[in-house]
Amino acid sequence: MKKRPHIFTRLLGDSKLQPFVIPVFSVVCSLAAASIVLLIIGRNPLIAFRSILQGAGLLPRGSYSAGKGMLTDLLNTLSALTPMIFAALGVTVAFKAGLFNIGVSGQMLFAGYIASVTIGYSDLPAYAARPLVLLIGFACGALIGALIGLLKHRFNINEVVSSIMINYILQYVIGFFILTRHIDPVSRQSVAVSAAARLVPQSVHYGTLKGDLPLCILLAIIVAFILRFVINRTRYGFDLLAVGANPKAARYAGIRVGSTVVTSMTLSGALAGLAGVTHYLGYYNSIQPKSLTSVGFDSIAVSLLGNGNPVGVLFSSLLVTVIDKGSTYMSSMVKVEREIAAVITGLILLFSACGAYFKYLAERNQLAATGEPANSEKKDDGEGDA
Amino acid sequence: MAEQEYIAEMRHITKRFPGVVANNDISLSIRKGEIFALLGENGAGKSTLMSILFGLYEPDEGELIIRGKPVRISSPSHAAKLSIGMVHQHFRLVENFTVTENIVLGLEPTRRLLGLLPYVDLKTANREIAELSRRYGLEVEPTAVIEEIGVSMRQRVEILKMLYRGAEILIFDEPTAMLAPQEIEYLLKILLSLREGGKTIILISHKLAEIKQVADRCAILNRGKLVGLFDVADTSTQQMASVMVGRELAPEEPPPPMEFGAEVLRVDKLNVLNIDKFPVVKDVSFGVRAGEIFAIAGVDGNGQVEVADAIAGLAKLHSGTITLAGTDITGASIRERTELGLAFVPEDRQSTGLVLDFALDRNLALRRYYKLPINVRGVLNNRAISDDAVGLIEQYDIRAGRGGATQVRSMSGGNQQKAIVAREIETGAGLMIFVQPTRGLDIGATRAIHRHILDQRALGKAILLISLELDEVMALADTVGVMYGGEMTRIAPLSDLSYDEIGAYMMGVGNSAEVTE
Repeated sequence: MKKRPHIFTRLLGDSKLQPFVIPVFSVVCSLAAASIVLLIIGRNPLIAFRSILQGAGLLPRGSYSAGKGMLTDLLNTLSALTPMIFAALGVTVAFKAGLFNIGVSGQMLFAGYIASVTIGYSDLPAYAARPLVLLIGFACGALIGALIGLLKHRFNINEVVSSIMINYILQYVIGFFILTRHIDPVSRQSVAVSAAARLVPQSVHYGTLKGDLPLCILLAIIVAFILRFVINRTRYGFDLLAVGANPKAARYAGIRVGSTVVTSMTLSGALAGLAGVTHYLGYYNSIQPKSLTSVGFDSIAVSLLGNGNPVGVLFSSLLVTVIDKGSTYMSSMVKVEREIAAVITGLILLFSACGAYFKYLAERNQLAATGEPANSEKKDDGEGDA
Repeated sequence: MAEQEYIAEMRHITKRFPGVVANNDISLSIRKGEIFALLGENGAGKSTLMSILFGLYEPDEGELIIRGKPVRISSPSHAAKLSIGMVHQHFRLVENFTVTENIVLGLEPTRRLLGLLPYVDLKTANREIAELSRRYGLEVEPTAVIEEIGVSMRQRVEILKMLYRGAEILIFDEPTAMLAPQEIEYLLKILLSLREGGKTIILISHKLAEIKQVADRCAILNRGKLVGLFDVADTSTQQMASVMVGRELAPEEPPPPMEFGAEVLRVDKLNVLNIDKFPVVKDVSFGVRAGEIFAIAGVDGNGQVEVADAIAGLAKLHSGTITLAGTDITGASIRERTELGLAFVPEDRQSTGLVLDFALDRNLALRRYYKLPINVRGVLNNRAISDDAVGLIEQYDIRAGRGGATQVRSMSGGNQQKAIVAREIETGAGLMIFVQPTRGLDIGATRAIHRHILDQRALGKAILLISLELDEVMALADTVGVMYGGEMTRIAPLSDLSYDEIGAYMMGVGNSAEVTE
């Protein structure tokens, strides 16, 4: 505290640049840590990072098999990116209202399953099926979110506890129905949904190449901007932020805290539902019984890395998805085990969670600088020095 | 040796924070066994200076001399080794530990069971602490659990904590800010008995009356500089006040007489239960007229705050009715009350009155963001929010580094309170409730808030003031209601009451048959 060089403040303290600088700083830290891991096992980190980008379709690979190219990889990355964006936006809305939606995976599964059995296994033509899939996903996610919100509002059940429990219930109940009614005996997954209902048409021709057509990526980007507008510029957003930042003051200001909690959790669930259908009826076309996707959990870190900003979430989703998609290729190129690739993803997520800490450090230094010693001193307890 | 006279000396201390000189070439010498007061407005640099002595900061320039030896105090634990202890404004106690457990924490006296198993010898510790407590008249029960004791006793536990660690120099940071009048008296007695016991006391305060009562010498800081050093016995509080704010300070004028208008607020047989279903407000009835300041006096925790919360809609009432400007608002929502003309300055400005993480302009809009011109069909007009803020910042002299965009968290307490008062006055409500409006504020800010309250009265607003500071009640009220044990035991015009009489009712020894309602 006493003689901290103020370079840190200069680097991270500018509150205008902070929303950009801190996530970048987190990423740089994590890449440095990943490099150390790679150096320890005797690999060249630069080649490893390049092969991640190649695997995700952001750089050309050395060679491609017939009908494939950089575009194929890129489109595949984008179709994996879509559910990640929706899921992270769902987490972000909840964070803004002071809630922690750890049940995104369960909400995704519920939305994906209901959309599969209602539309995915029907003969509806694509123009009817696809909008219906999105609508049902949205509604199913909202339903679970509303339930969690109501449990908190009416019975004061912590949303973390209820959403984890609901995750389990959905995982096994839906697993039971898939195993007894919709199981594909060959793949051990649920029966594949119809191509018409699938939100990512497969093997579309792009000149000589073939690849996915990630239809919903545009929707995800638009939703992110809409969400930013809703949070920052609308009356509902004001209520939401006030409840999240200080429920007592929100109540004092006449905001109905309970109903804001329920609506924000509903919105969070609805976005998770969109993530569910773009995952199970988009990137994939079936559901693995009795398991939850990791997307729902990774999205928490993605939301943190995005600094709670819906547009920032677009970038952090891209980063995490690229690493996730590229790590397969990296493991074959630089001969590291896929587990090491997972370690690197984990490191990035770990450092992203430190963003809040970096921000705290920067602000603590900042406070001393704003000429409000009366205030900064209250926070100095000196315990750190003792 | 002359050196021996001073237990602590600070020579030419300068401490800079980027952009501000918090302490500018301050030299002070503190004698052994005196009560030395450090006086100054918020932000004058008192806390910084004491933090240097306590090892939280190192000075950029200057030196510290403790008991004749130059030292660099590198940390609070180093300060403790030099027998310097500090009672902070916000206590650091473990809620579910007993008094003794809190005090011995980190220095537990251990013994060995059968010469083998180490255990904490709480029995001996309890005895030692009871003995210490008795010696200085602290009256602390060593086996009481912290969460079950009040603010005043918690503070005494903090004092014991220092004494147990052998502190000789005791620094008190605004020790009376959260105490009721009798508790303050009690604390001042304790300070005197500590001095008697040979301890040296440094008292950070901006309450002149207390300093006058107990301190031997008094240093006054203003904007980081030492502007005065007085022997308290030879100096009037008026002199100290003018040096402190850097100008002549006229005594507060009594409010001019007012013709009261129609009754704006009527509270009838109000009963409020606390969370354990225990009655905290019992059959309270009173009315406030237009142009009247009705002050509720009472020691903290006698139901005053609950009365205010019930009127504002923040606390549920058990029975009774509340009427605002002829409309029954007993079951109305908070926003309906706002719309009917109720403004409320809450007791806790940081946890209730403000969203600390919001910018100032949004906090100033907290009462009307949902209405035109800010809310246009669900979309907020940010221009209107910031334009409003610019006006209020100017009009109410709210000092904020980055204007409307300043994070409220980074503002000083006085300016935070000015922001709340500005916002509430701007609602144009006919009834204004102020709960402890000047708690913890310095003289300048207190005066500003008092002026605003009186201006509102002159405009014919009905004002309900709840204050623990009897001086504030005496300075502002037209009518006083005293609460004790959840009941309103006396209601009378201020002119019919003396200071002592109100004090007697506050302690529950008045004659409750005299309630005029």
